[in-house]
Amino acid sequence: MTTTDPHSESTNSTAVEITDIGVDFGHVTALESISLSIADGAFFTLVGPSGCGKTTLLRSIAGLETPSHGKVSIGGRDVTTEPPEARNVGIVFQNYSLFPHLSVADNVGYGLQFHDLSGQRDPEARVAELLELVDLPGFGDRTPTELSGGQKQRVALARALAPEPDVLLLDEPLSALDARLRAKLRVQIKTIQRDLGITTVYVTHDQAEALAISDRIAVIQQGQIQQVDTPETVYRQPASRAVAEFMGNNNVFEGSVADDGQHLETEGKLLPLPETHDRAPGTSLTVSIRPESLVVADSQQGDPAVLSATVETVEFLGDAYRVHCRWRDKSVLVTTAATTPPEGTVKLHFDPEDVHLL
Amino acid sequence: MRAKASRLLPVGIAAMLTTLVVVFYYPVGSVLGSAISVGGRLTLDPLVAVLGDPFYTGSAHSLVTAPASLPERFVAWVNAGMPAVDFGLFGFTAYQALLSTVVSVAVGLPGAYLLARFEFPGREFLRSVTILPFVMPSILVAVGFLAMFGRTGVVNDLLATVGLGPVNVVFTLEIVILAHAFYNAPLVTRLVTAAWESVDTRSVETARTLGAPPLRAFRDVTLPQLVPAILTASVLTFIFTFLSFPIVLALGGLQLATVEVWLFARVQNLELVEAATLGAIETALSLGLIYIYLRFEATQISTHGQGQLRSRLPLFDGWQSVSDPRRLGVFLYCLVAAVLFVGPLVSLVVESLTTPNGAFTLDYYAFLLAQQASAAVGTINPLAAIINSLLFGLGALVLALPMGVLVSVVATHEGSGSRFAEALLTAPLAVSGIVLGLGMLRTLVFGTTVFGHRLTVTGPIAIVAAHAIAAYPFVTRNVTPALSGIDDRLVDAARALGADRPTVLVDIELPLIAPALIAGAAFAFAISIGEFDSTVLLAEGVDSATMPVALERYTANRSLGPNLGPATAMGTVLLAVTTGSFILIDRTGRRWER
Amino acid sequence: MNRRTFLRHGVGSVAGLAALSGCIGTPSDSGQTLTVAAYSSFTGDGTAGNWLKSAFESETPEATVTFQTTENGVNEFIQRRSQGAPIDADLFVGLNTGELVRADQQLDDSLFAASGDRIDGSETVKSALDFDPAGRVVPYDTGYISLVYDAEEVDEPATFDTLLKPQYENELLTQNAEGSDPGRAFLLWTINQKGPDGYLDYWNQLADNGIQILSDWGTAYEAYQDEEASMVVSYSTDQVYYHGDDVDISRHQVGFLNDQGYANPEGMAQFVNADNPELAREFMSFMLSERAQAEIATRNVQFPAVEGVDPGGDFGEFALEPPEAVTYSYDELVGNVGGWIDDWARQIVSN
Repeated sequence: MTTTDPHSESTNSTAVEITDIGVDFGHVTALESISLSIADGAFFTLVGPSGCGKTTLLRSIAGLETPSHGKVSIGGRDVTTEPPEARNVGIVFQNYSLFPHLSVADNVGYGLQFHDLSGQRDPEARVAELLELVDLPGFGDRTPTELSGGQKQRVALARALAPEPDVLLLDEPLSALDARLRAKLRVQIKTIQRDLGITTVYVTHDQAEALAISDRIAVIQQGQIQQVDTPETVYRQPASRAVAEFMGNNNVFEGSVADDGQHLETEGKLLPLPETHDRAPGTSLTVSIRPESLVVADSQQGDPAVLSATVETVEFLGDAYRVHCRWRDKSVLVTTAATTPPEGTVKLHFDPEDVHLL
Repeated sequence: MRAKASRLLPVGIAAMLTTLVVVFYYPVGSVLGSAISVGGRLTLDPLVAVLGDPFYTGSAHSLVTAPASLPERFVAWVNAGMPAVDFGLFGFTAYQALLSTVVSVAVGLPGAYLLARFEFPGREFLRSVTILPFVMPSILVAVGFLAMFGRTGVVNDLLATVGLGPVNVVFTLEIVILAHAFYNAPLVTRLVTAAWESVDTRSVETARTLGAPPLRAFRDVTLPQLVPAILTASVLTFIFTFLSFPIVLALGGLQLATVEVWLFARVQNLELVEAATLGAIETALSLGLIYIYLRFEATQISTHGQGQLRSRLPLFDGWQSVSDPRRLGVFLYCLVAAVLFVGPLVSLVVESLTTPNGAFTLDYYAFLLAQQASAAVGTINPLAAIINSLLFGLGALVLALPMGVLVSVVATHEGSGSRFAEALLTAPLAVSGIVLGLGMLRTLVFGTTVFGHRLTVTGPIAIVAAHAIAAYPFVTRNVTPALSGIDDRLVDAARALGADRPTVLVDIELPLIAPALIAGAAFAFAISIGEFDSTVLLAEGVDSATMPVALERYTANRSLGPNLGPATAMGTVLLAVTTGSFILIDRTGRRWER
Repeated sequence: MNRRTFLRHGVGSVAGLAALSGCIGTPSDSGQTLTVAAYSSFTGDGTAGNWLKSAFESETPEATVTFQTTENGVNEFIQRRSQGAPIDADLFVGLNTGELVRADQQLDDSLFAASGDRIDGSETVKSALDFDPAGRVVPYDTGYISLVYDAEEVDEPATFDTLLKPQYENELLTQNAEGSDPGRAFLLWTINQKGPDGYLDYWNQLADNGIQILSDWGTAYEAYQDEEASMVVSYSTDQVYYHGDDVDISRHQVGFLNDQGYANPEGMAQFVNADNPELAREFMSFMLSERAQAEIATRNVQFPAVEGVDPGGDFGEFALEPPEAVTYSYDELVGNVGGWIDDWARQIVSN
């Protein structure tokens, strides 16, 4: 794991520091003990299945949940006991949460009355500036009910950004939108974030979205952090089986290291392992191979880096096929850029160096 | 501007609690205290005396007098074939309250259906005036009911034309329950209409697409969303009818006496310890019911408001629509409502224009004009009474709205003890009007000596405070569901933008619950307009007299003979003024809503 | 006598929610304000109270009469006394026997001063009406409780026993003896007739015959007018209101059961700590004058308490006096009336 954080070199100050945070809801523990550092200007994503505690963590940063223990600092200031309005954060929710009785301009301008902005800008000008930023110039007089979902979410973004928050918090902001709009808005959010250089914490359950947009990702499961790293590392070198399975349709094999130390004994077969690894023969081992690391190809019989599998279902993705195969008792997933879909019995070839030890 | 709201909240809470203590808890406490304290010593004797008296508690008295014999008695009762058990005065009072509640809900629900689901000319008007019965003094309701349901009343005349009847319901439990429905069904209608209007059409549509016929969809999807409102209205109705007093003796007679009737007699005879004990038991039962209900309500609160609202059906949509069973049912209901609600009110107006011999007369209105023209000492001028009523009503509304909203904020607050606090703050609903009146007399009117000065709390401002306290629980009952229906994330968003909690309440939540605030305001106004007991005590003389006080005074005036003509004329004025006010409140409120 | 007038100041509290009306004592220049406590309908346009005020003031120019009306009648003053709250009135007008009994039972010391002998004209009061053996309360008028019935519907109910006959089933309306003067008088009348040991049994039979006990006189009379029943417990003065060509007089027949009427005299008394006892006695004297007695009778539609006064007019012509007046004396009621009424009410409610 040698990949470096692109921002860790340019900035070394920490925007958000979370130390040993725990949140209980009655008798249920939502977050056990979470510690995180989020670098200044970073786009930091909390990803995990629903109910894993990622939204609770985000709300704790905003001051909307009261941790049972632990500490939250923003910009070096301990805000653990501060109410939300004293934290200078901007938040955007999945359901937009625009104030239905206020116009778009009044929504965007709402936070300005509580903040003294540097440069003493005219609030109206600031609202116009933000509507410009989110590509909705001239929408100020409309009411929220007159807007489409995507427009509402851009207004919500503008509203959160208007008071120049120290941290922008986005809670599943794109989940209510259709796929095309989601992809488009994702780019827009990323662009705005980079232009403004604002530290952003983004919550999503969609691993693809997390990979696409983030500088760093924290994978959270059952109230605990599984892995924090760059998207590339989390994707290619998941820290655990759970991460491996959550971050994209991974193929996971369980078994033990063969006596030669070079193979994994699984499903009554031997699969080659990378040349250098630190596991002793006989120890039990779980590995993952990404679907795109498997190549559908004819190859020599007896090559250990080949799985002989049967095609069960094929999905056409436009630029590739996703092939669901059966190998022995296991379901194996393959992505192939072939022009025709494979069928029948196929050979799945892989480079032992692409086998990731968990 | 900003900082103001946050400073206002604690000041508001302090002011509210002070008012509550001075005008409510202290007077009530001064009376109820004697139920558990004799000569400054705590004792259970008065409670044991009442609960152990078979007259009050029937068979349950042995729970107090001989608890050990209970199993034996139970076995004997089972062996006797489980005959009907008598639970004394408390048992009968609860029984008639239960029946009244069932009938009020049965009559009120179709009204909510009509108002929430159908569009017709006059719907807004009808909605505005639903709570008119609330302000009607019981003596006039008795007049209207006798005219409608009496031996020679309109209903029997109608029945006779089709060869039926006569039906004798006067002086029976039935007419008391009908009168209770007259007062309380509108409450059911008003509260449930609001809930019905906010039912998400998509949930109903989903049920229909899943194969549910309309009635099933209603039962499975709509009804559960109405349950909290129906239960709120039921609990309120039960408590009101449990504490029912003048109408019982006016229409039913002493044989149907409730605990409150008995309590009043004890106060008249100055048997104050027994009165206090009865009042304390009533209050404990009512508060207990409220608490249980609030616990239930807390589990029911759900977030809606994002939903798609259903559009109303035109009530009359060509002649073919008349054969639609739903519309047929609605028309049938309108007939019932006409007899039960419109009938007594119209009868009242008719009575105000009729001599006891049945001839047309304007004498009673001439009487009002004469009272207006008279400068004699002790005369209540009708116009002054109208103006007082309106001013007090407005004052009570202005005070009760923030008080009610504050309690709603407490109510929607998730925390241990919130339900308990809310139940305590809802106590003005649960305390007998007679106990409160007695307490006010003994504390506020009699006064207390401070630094050599006799301090009394009476006059217009005390009246407004008393009205506001009687009224704010109605604001709370309207506002709490609306407030808890607001998406929490709107609040979160505003706080993240820098608004503190009180500012969010003023900027975001209150504008969003405008309809509930308007409904609460209308209730508050109605309570104030109809209030009599506290007003007459605190008014001290005729200068602060209100319409109901004037009306009561005119019932005792014999200058036109022993009849209620002048009172019915004043009652008609009261109806007209109140109708106008409700419409004004609704109109003003709706303008503000936009 | 240093008469103090009490000025009431409405002072808004900090929150503007409660008025603290402080009573600040300021001595007035003369002791000539007489405060009369009465029930609320005693005063107002055209009432006996207002006539008394103006007539007394013109006869005694240095005096001013003010009224203090209460919703709770004498009970308010009993409670004021027992709690040590001030009583700012000089005399009370509108007291009946039962109320005097209650006041004496509730309080260790009397609420009223004995002044009977010192009031000019008190010797002219009909002795049958004199209900206070201690001479504190002086009667000024009386009503006679009787039945009013519809002669077209029922025959004249001549005796208490005829009321139990099937002809009168569901035809009698009365009032709750616990809260209504005529209702209480009617109950006491039955006790007077049937004895303390027999009245409950008699009422059982009345109940079986469908007697209805409503809250107060107004409600019962309204129900009678609406023809819910053809007899109502009321006053023997009914025809004062209803006479003449346009009235169906058969609906306003007065029935004296057993040729009796139950007298319910109303009296007045001076409070023990009155600031102006002399003026109070003067006022009471004035109320017993022939002129005042006639006016009170006409305006209250009650019989004069003073012997030989003829109010004249409609009252003189149409008010009916029972052949025999019965009533319970103070001494007969003391110690009994509470139990009698309580037993009666419990029996009615329990059935």
